[in-house]
Amino acid sequence: MATNQTSVERVDDAVVRSFARAAVLAALMGAAAVVGSIPIPFSPIPVSLGVLVIYLMGLYLGPVWGPASAGLYLTAGAVGLPVFANGASGIGVLVGDSAGYLWSYPIAAALIGLIVHRGTALRDLRSVRLPILVGALLAGTIVIYAMGTAYMAWLLEMEAWEAIAAGALPFIPGELLKIAAAVAIVRAGRITSVRP
Amino acid sequence: MLTYEPDDTFAHRLDPRTKLAVQIGFAATALAHPTPRALFVLSALAGLVMAGAGVSLRRTLVAYRFALLVLALAPVLSGVTLGAPWFDRAAATASGLASYRVLLVLLVSAAYVRSTPVRDSRAAIQRTIPGKPGQLLGIGVALVFRFLPVLRGDLRTIREAMAARLGTERGAVDRASTIGMLGLSRAFDRADRLSLALQARCFAWNPTLPPLAFSRADYPVLVVAVVLACSAFI
Repeated sequence: MATNQTSVERVDDAVVRSFARAAVLAALMGAAAVVGSIPIPFSPIPVSLGVLVIYLMGLYLGPVWGPASAGLYLTAGAVGLPVFANGASGIGVLVGDSAGYLWSYPIAAALIGLIVHRGTALRDLRSVRLPILVGALLAGTIVIYAMGTAYMAWLLEMEAWEAIAAGALPFIPGELLKIAAAVAIVRAGRITSVRP
Repeated sequence: MLTYEPDDTFAHRLDPRTKLAVQIGFAATALAHPTPRALFVLSALAGLVMAGAGVSLRRTLVAYRFALLVLALAPVLSGVTLGAPWFDRAAATASGLASYRVLLVLLVSAAYVRSTPVRDSRAAIQRTIPGKPGQLLGIGVALVFRFLPVLRGDLRTIREAMAARLGTERGAVDRASTIGMLGLSRAFDRADRLSLALQARCFAWNPTLPPLAFSRADYPVLVVAVVLACSAFI
């Protein structure tokens, strides 16, 4: 076996901190997809907290590391870690019926990060005005459901309204709840993001 | 739950890159041809792949039961129409065939999951994707693998602690934000300790990886992968 004789190239400290947070949030996303679901009134489907973690990725990791974290989550699921909804895994899920939602996660995290932080440098979340915060989260949610239902309609050869009835309407109360929860977490101001 | 299981099947001996190529080729051609004849051939192929990896059909179907629910619901939803004839059989059949191809793709990916350890997948990622993105992706997958059980335990602890304090009687927003905030602050605590440990251990862009090599068995399987991918265009 050949010996690798190149010298060690250290990873920058800021990159290490952001990367560690991105990796752990990707794992939290996987854990939330299996463990964290709470029943809500007026909806047959319990709310999975997975999308809440996507909001938090955009808010606390920003428009660069947020999507990187979501991308890590998708890769980890593709190679066989049980991180997708209800412990599923494999490349098949990434082209299956819920693939549109999964592929939208990095885009939604990037969009939320861009709107809230107005660029790649992270701002203090306590200084972000409430309408901007809520608007960013709503925009992210719309991206997730638009891509999710559009792909589902194409893949399973359904009409648009059929896909919306099966893939979006039952989840709207849960999404509003998660937006409220994300806003409450930001407003509590107990967690700070990595800033240079 | 589907995970890697140590075994000595044909699929276990293949290089992870070969298996990834087969899955991509299979998915491409299955998505391109939702016709009964193509699906018949692909079903036989999926059966071969599953036999080659020692995958149990029943356990795989149980693992994907929630996806199966949507796949079963889709043809029904497509078929139901408002007004006569109430049920459009052509639309339901088209949707049913489309759903079935997704099931086949899921079964083939189950064969990869059962036959490939995460460490091999990581090496495959790092060798296939060049440069620093590949490095970070590979290390990140390894970290997600290690932190998943820990964070699952964290979330479970938080939920049990909330239940013990009658947290289950509170409003849904309150509960979601409490779980979210505690989960996030614990996760970030772990991440900060992890980054300190990574820095202390000289976290580098160029670590040493396990060797991967194509064996004689890989080449015919790679040819199958290429043929499958190309068949998406005919």
